[in-house]
Amino acid sequence: MSTFHIEDADRPHAVRLAITWVILSAIAVIAVVLFIHYPPGDQTIQGADQASTLLLLTAIAAPVFVGVVMMIIYSAIYFRRSGPELVDGPPRLGNAPVQVVWIAGSAIIVLFLAFVGISTLATNSSAQTVPGQSSATATGAGSEMQVQVIAQQWYFTYRYADYGGVETTHLYLPVNRPVELHVTSLDIIHSFWAYQLGVKADANPGVDNVFHVTPQKTGSFQVRCAELCGIWHGTMADSQGQVVSQSDFDTWIAQQQQDYAAIQQAVPSYAPFYFPLPLTKGS
Amino acid sequence: MIRRLSFTAASVVVVIILVVVFVGQFMLRRPGALEGQPTSIHLETVAAVGAANEWPRPNDPHPDWVGYLPTTILRVPANSTINVQIDQEDGATGLRNPFWGKVFGTIGGNMHMTYFDSKGNPQEGDMTSIDPTQAAHTFAIPDLGVFVPLLGVDPSAPPGSTNVITFSFKTQGPGIYHWQCFVPCAAKTVFGNGGPMQTLGYMGGELIVT
Repeated sequence: MSTFHIEDADRPHAVRLAITWVILSAIAVIAVVLFIHYPPGDQTIQGADQASTLLLLTAIAAPVFVGVVMMIIYSAIYFRRSGPELVDGPPRLGNAPVQVVWIAGSAIIVLFLAFVGISTLATNSSAQTVPGQSSATATGAGSEMQVQVIAQQWYFTYRYADYGGVETTHLYLPVNRPVELHVTSLDIIHSFWAYQLGVKADANPGVDNVFHVTPQKTGSFQVRCAELCGIWHGTMADSQGQVVSQSDFDTWIAQQQQDYAAIQQAVPSYAPFYFPLPLTKGS
Repeated sequence: MIRRLSFTAASVVVVIILVVVFVGQFMLRRPGALEGQPTSIHLETVAAVGAANEWPRPNDPHPDWVGYLPTTILRVPANSTINVQIDQEDGATGLRNPFWGKVFGTIGGNMHMTYFDSKGNPQEGDMTSIDPTQAAHTFAIPDLGVFVPLLGVDPSAPPGSTNVITFSFKTQGPGIYHWQCFVPCAAKTVFGNGGPMQTLGYMGGELIVT
């Protein structure tokens, strides 16, 4: 069985590389933790989860990245050919300690990252309350609020199932209250992308695509379509999304119910999705 | 040796900084705020652009397509009141989303319309909404929050009848804003959203605010 052995002549290189790698890795990890903005931010619990996961992945990847770049540059400087072509040395047929360390280390990192990623996906797929909020405060009116996102060429509208199915032209959400988004489409495939909320959901006709968000910070957010959907796809956006306090939300939704009361009578009852018929129109 | 090592470390740092700046700029780029929005505008909506009453386009490559006439590129001044008249000659198709049967974003929140009722009698009045199933088209400028449904000409109206819809809205700052129809009125296309709905110059266009 072969053992891991460094030639005496290579020892100074190994020491230099190891010291340099440790120092640069420490600097890189500090830099990625302190100075990089990780999308989508922390306006929702789910968004914060995604951002922290990205931060973790980047911090783990930083030393690997530093090591690869360092080896390339170091080799180009110290091991470049300066004389006649060298004769190739004897083949190395394997080194068990190195292979075990390499495989075990890679496996541990990959499995750890898989665990972190799956955990984040799982928690993002269920309702969450803001830590430190009491149940009554966290849930506002008492339960997860259902909001239907309706995509159509080329605009998003929103229906609030818990408020008589009132339909609105902008998305307002109360802070600290779990929200269940039901994303669907009236015509073709769109994608509801609320960047700051950490939500990007396909909007398909005849499909109820469910996502959960819990806003934890008030402020505005953008909504865009992230699926090429025709001539005006690039304008299918709204910059007037708002996360507001529960009392402001109550005032706003009451105003919407009043403003849209007449047309609301012509809008069908709230349903999980629409399936437009006929497929072919004729005027 | 120290010089070489320092050079290596410095090179690594420079490369990493360049990569971080490149990736960081990409990651920090956030969706920009939408610049969305549109004096007197006179338009005609027809079932076939080749057979319009006012501005026919018989040599159009798609004379049987539904469309707005005479043009869908509209130039208007910024921060002004725009008075719009639409002569609506097409029959009803119906809105896929009935919500768009309501008038939004106009001055006064309404529109004025002369039309024919189901008995073929001429009527006139201010309206804030129409029956969504009787919509022929809509004139919508989403970025300005202007949505106006256009009532289809009733089948009992005299041949060649036109519903005349007038309304006003205000423009904001300069910019180019798209406007469109929300009725799936592209006959014989899937979901009624093909052809003229997807082609500049028919059921949508640009409002150029200068």
